[in-house]
Amino acid sequence: MGAIPKPPQGQFNVLYFASANSFTSKEYDTLPAPLPIGKLFDALEEKHSGIKDKILSSCLVTVNLNYVDVPNDNSEDASESSVVIQAGDEVAIIPPVSSG
Amino acid sequence: MDLVTGKVERLKAQILKTEVELQQLKTQLAELEALPPPPSPPSPPSPPSPPSPPSEAQVQDKSTEISPEWKWPLKEEEYARYGRQIILPSVGIRGQLRLKSAAVLVVGAGGLGCPAAAYLAGAGVGTLGIVDGDTVEVSNLHRQIAHSTARVGMKKVDSLIQYCRGLNPEVKYVGYDDHLTPQNAENVVSAYDVVLDCTDHPTSRYLISDICVLLGKPLVSASALRTDGQLIVLNNPPAAQGSTDGGPCYRCVFPKPPPAGSVISCGEGGILGPVVGVMGVLQALEAIKLIAAGTGKENNSIPKEPLTPSLLLFSANSSTLFRSIRMRSRRSNCFACSASSTLTPKELKAGSLDYVQFCGVATPINILQPDERISATYYNTILASETEERGLLLDVREKEHFDIANIPGAINIPFSTFQTRSRSTSNGDASHLEWLPEDVGSDTPIYVVCRVGNDSQLVTKKLKDMGLDKHGERFIGDIKGGMKAWKLEVDQTMPFT
Repeated sequence: MGAIPKPPQGQFNVLYFASANSFTSKEYDTLPAPLPIGKLFDALEEKHSGIKDKILSSCLVTVNLNYVDVPNDNSEDASESSVVIQAGDEVAIIPPVSSG
Repeated sequence: MDLVTGKVERLKAQILKTEVELQQLKTQLAELEALPPPPSPPSPPSPPSPPSPPSEAQVQDKSTEISPEWKWPLKEEEYARYGRQIILPSVGIRGQLRLKSAAVLVVGAGGLGCPAAAYLAGAGVGTLGIVDGDTVEVSNLHRQIAHSTARVGMKKVDSLIQYCRGLNPEVKYVGYDDHLTPQNAENVVSAYDVVLDCTDHPTSRYLISDICVLLGKPLVSASALRTDGQLIVLNNPPAAQGSTDGGPCYRCVFPKPPPAGSVISCGEGGILGPVVGVMGVLQALEAIKLIAAGTGKENNSIPKEPLTPSLLLFSANSSTLFRSIRMRSRRSNCFACSASSTLTPKELKAGSLDYVQFCGVATPINILQPDERISATYYNTILASETEERGLLLDVREKEHFDIANIPGAINIPFSTFQTRSRSTSNGDASHLEWLPEDVGSDTPIYVVCRVGNDSQLVTKKLKDMGLDKHGERFIGDIKGGMKAWKLEVDQTMPFT
């Protein structure tokens, strides 16, 4: 893949690593901002049916190279994780790689 | 022909046996050399003289007869061997002595373990332990660089130790020719200062992380698949469970294992040699940095700041080869390293943690009825019949597999693109199936084949759900056992990947 272009005005990029890349057959997607982090997985599920169970449930998520917690649907710590993804942010979906 | 094959087999077996014998002899020699030198006869006191360069013979006789006036902390041979790294500020003589007194455990003697162990041996760690229960296969050699064609069939542990001993006989090598288990983990790991996770499955990754938390060992973890790699130093600094001074463990980073069905091995997913190589080399680097800087036993007095480690991502095909992710400290509700953890060495050993169950078992898919599946042999008879009943054969393996070898007449619709396409036609409108050749009649049977017979069932089911079978008027089914069965039953020459 070449360099990933900057997202258009009012949008952010989601980068797909390892199995997320294989699942989506894409290096990245572009989504409209702002988006609360808690709604990220649903937005991605809409684009890639099945990704939530197969990939997102066990992956690590970063925003601008910083690790963030994604509250799950019935989470009590929803208040703690008030991250809102902003336009121009770079979100990364990082599933565990286990082989070696 | 059979005569030659038999001779080749006999020679192979003989070479293997001789190599194992040679290695045992080397081990015996190393053990004898490591013994303290016999007391030398008392010599008359001599006036102090400036140290003279030792003779050639003395150099070769390294451990048994060091000349009495040698007053330096390393042996002469070691200054020559490690000089290039000792002169670096981040190593220095102190760092080299720390390396010499360090015991490092490499779990896994594969694509990561080979380069990692080689560099650790080269750098002069005191003891290098290697754990692996597998034997060397030809398919390992493109990436597992310490093994060799002549050593196919040998235990990986023996092969890797043989390679490392050739590189540096000064190191003490300890091999464990079995996989790490909850039962043996404590005994194996407790003797070491730093652990490298060079294994290839989630079950071993969680087990190694847990035992490192329990025994307070820093863990250098790396992994690689296809063109991607990950590297992270965990449990660094090591601290008691619940202590916020300690670095996060594997469970802090990945609390939930990936679904069992999505775990792909290098055998299935593929791996590029340099990708796993670079990750293994980086593991050795992190371990050397840790030891040379004084981690573990001798460094307890230095106040430690809680470190937030970084996770290094390697993507061979990206324009950004490396990305570094800033992680958090320990997870407050971590199953293994938090204050609320109930994990103990005793519990682990007793087997109360079922790692296989925790990570799940991928069960073979079985969603089709027997009459929806045909054997490879039967499809071969259909092919031979030369009638219209030949139908349409869909090979749903990825293009790379298909390009290596395929059944005559098959068309390739990779499972992944099929998934993407069927998503956009989930309303069941078959007219969107652009891959369906136009000249195919609507009654033509469709046969689906994949690698081993799992994806083919999913595709068959999907096609039927889309109404392509016209409520049973048209046959849609899969070839049981996939291309593997085809090779076994029909065409033994077909390369199977």
